[in-house]
Amino acid sequence: MTAQMDARAAPRGAARVGIGGPVGSGKTALLEQLIPRFIARGTDIAVITNDLVTDEDAERVRRTGLIAPERVLAVETGACPHTAIREDPTLNLAAADELDRRYPGLELILVESGGDNLASSFSLDLVDYWLFVIDVAGGDDIPRKRGLGVVQCDLLVINKTDLAPHVRVDLARMVREADEVRAGRATLLTNCASGDGVDAVVERIAREVLFDH
Amino acid sequence: MLRLTDIVGNAADPDIADRLHDIDHDGGVERVRLSRSDLARRRQRLVTDRGTEFALLLDRSASLENGSVLLLEAGRAVLVVLEQPQWLVLRAAHVAGALEIGYFAGNMHWKVRFENDCIWIAQEGPRDTYLKRVAHLLARGDAVVLDTSDALAGGVRHLHVPHAH
Repeated sequence: MTAQMDARAAPRGAARVGIGGPVGSGKTALLEQLIPRFIARGTDIAVITNDLVTDEDAERVRRTGLIAPERVLAVETGACPHTAIREDPTLNLAAADELDRRYPGLELILVESGGDNLASSFSLDLVDYWLFVIDVAGGDDIPRKRGLGVVQCDLLVINKTDLAPHVRVDLARMVREADEVRAGRATLLTNCASGDGVDAVVERIAREVLFDH
Repeated sequence: MLRLTDIVGNAADPDIADRLHDIDHDGGVERVRLSRSDLARRRQRLVTDRGTEFALLLDRSASLENGSVLLLEAGRAVLVVLEQPQWLVLRAAHVAGALEIGYFAGNMHWKVRFENDCIWIAQEGPRDTYLKRVAHLLARGDAVVLDTSDALAGGVRHLHVPHAH
């Protein structure tokens, strides 16, 4: 076994996973479902939230008591949220580096973007893998509108599946059309109010960037 | 799953090229084909052309490039090969059309290059998606889609291990 290839080699710094999506699609709700699941599986995690001019989402996550408050950092973008995760991710990179320095055993940093539009996406300089969260109440035509976030994300999460019958959404068609525009990339369904489907999101993230099984 | 944590060097480095050549003779070089966007990932699951799976865990400061060597040991090497993008090539019919195409491509955050009076748009998804986005320009006759030869359009660019004899 060489130093270059070792099944036990320690990763250097935490894996960084982005969570993007439109306003109100359930990014923070997904975060609140992911945190206890990663902690339960023994993953050492921290969180970065992005808001326009407040630390509203960071405070919401801190108040849940799911994670030590000091492990939740807030980035105030001050402008279109996508600029801080794509065009110039300096603030988020600095926050992630700070978390890596502060917690040497850190394994995973979840970076939640501020709510944006369908064209937002993450720079791969900032994250190793990124999710885009949409919801059925936003309309089942969202996938076929081919927004950059929907098309290019590593994992598309369609949230609020329980609302489909109430908003006359054909969920099966929504998934089929998502598959058509995503060229084989994964799509998962969740109800972040109840936690349905979130285990599969955890498994996917673990498989793609944690490599701990 | 085995973990790869370092970039040993590049296949173009003379000393590495010599060793790769010998290993390749014995069939020990495995190639990982990555898109340009995947080159930017420091941490990802890799599958070689022989189906071997590796976990890649690089330092944040590390940068993959075409020819990066991730493993080099007796009888075995892992080599990164850049998968060339497929291109949608448009030629504007007039200056106003060129301006609008340029504005539109920028607004879409598309990756482009310019060659032979054409704009080359790197397709990071199905070609049909891009054609639908520019349908209004094509319908108005502001631009036409050009065919590209296989050589120019890409496909996988194979990185040859230097061979002296």
